[in-house]
Amino acid sequence: MAQVIDISFTLNGKECKLSVPANAVLLDVIRDKMYLTGTKEGCGRGECGACTILFNGRSVNACLILALQADGAEIVTIEGAGVEKKLPSIQKAFVEEGAVQCGFCTPGMIMSSLYLLNKNPNPSIAEIREGISGNLCRCTGYVKIIKAVEKAGKDIGK
Amino acid sequence: MMKALNYLRADTIDSALQYLDEFKQDIRILAGGTDLVVRLKQDMVEENNILDISRIKELNDIFRENGAIHLLPLTTHTDILESETISKYAFILREACATIGSPQIRNRGTLGGNIVNASPAGDSISALFVQAARLKLKSINGERVVSIEEFFTGPGKTVLEPNELLVDIFMPELEENETGFFKKLGQRDALAIAVLNVAVKMRIREAGTNAFDRAVVAFGAVAPTVVRGRRVEKAIISSSLDSPEQIHYIARLAFREVSPISDIRASLKYRQDMSINLLYEGLLELSANDWKRKV
Repeated sequence: MAQVIDISFTLNGKECKLSVPANAVLLDVIRDKMYLTGTKEGCGRGECGACTILFNGRSVNACLILALQADGAEIVTIEGAGVEKKLPSIQKAFVEEGAVQCGFCTPGMIMSSLYLLNKNPNPSIAEIREGISGNLCRCTGYVKIIKAVEKAGKDIGK
Repeated sequence: MMKALNYLRADTIDSALQYLDEFKQDIRILAGGTDLVVRLKQDMVEENNILDISRIKELNDIFRENGAIHLLPLTTHTDILESETISKYAFILREACATIGSPQIRNRGTLGGNIVNASPAGDSISALFVQAARLKLKSINGERVVSIEEFFTGPGKTVLEPNELLVDIFMPELEENETGFFKKLGQRDALAIAVLNVAVKMRIREAGTNAFDRAVVAFGAVAPTVVRGRRVEKAIISSSLDSPEQIHYIARLAFREVSPISDIRASLKYRQDMSINLLYEGLLELSANDWKRKV
């Protein structure tokens, strides 16, 4: 009989309580139990960044966290990033720069960009490249994504 | 689907030590999870009990005490990069941690985890070698201190007993006249396991000269554990690093220090050649900067 434990956490500003088995991964709980499917699963081993979320203010790969470790945590996913005033600028910049093609990496890219811009609203190109180095995009070649993050930084700075 | 697990959570060192003693042969420690969760998904973990230590506050701090820098094991790589204390007194370790994983991995992965995993390619480990780190291991029976060099016995193997917990990582503060670097060669810049890495610490004998009275060199991913480059160290101390030719002559000694294997990341021959080149490049850059450290 698999061990099931009650946990609670804040997800996009809302209190959540649920029971999860010890072997559940946070990404699966977010997608399959909370029905927030904006966070994607790519590689499932922390290399592609499609599952990037903010966990207690820091960007992390949701595929590498056991759900039980989220007990008491504050979590922001792409769906909740809208409540932070900075997101509209990032989304707008991604649209305007054409930084989205298939869109699969986009939620993770935006969460990494949000984390970067929260720490450093005026990043250099090198800092942007480093900031999104944990996110793979197989369509765009990154140039437009980097331009979009640069633009979002400038918008936020205004 | 991951196998069924029994999850245990410790909020204090004492409670962690009790669990470790109780479950001894069938317990695996979880901190950041960046390595363990991948292994769990691949069904590569034999143990059924998972002990989550990530909330033990007593294991999460960076501080200075009596000339030593202490990094408690739950310190993340991001904590290290954001610490002014570290960039001043342990900058070689800082340079190493900057090359680890990605922002997401550095936000979650811990220094203690990087050490205990004992990968021959662990990037922080070469830096900890040259910074002469010592590790405090604790069990319900008492505690002991071992040097980082004594800690590893092979790939993934350490002297840590099943009931012991790594509770402190400490090293002498780097002094003003000490310089050095960490360099890594990976297949790409982010998220790459090192093909090889090298860390160097040297003490300048007299300002404005190219002479050194102390040198420690460590190579990662070129042997079953991180290894010291003792011939290189001796050569740095006994000669003067006056010209690129002289530096290259010394770097070539690296060839005899390493015993790499061929694997999916690189061939034996390539690793041998690159251990020379990486050391040469690092020393040359440092010499071009009048031996001043980067930060």
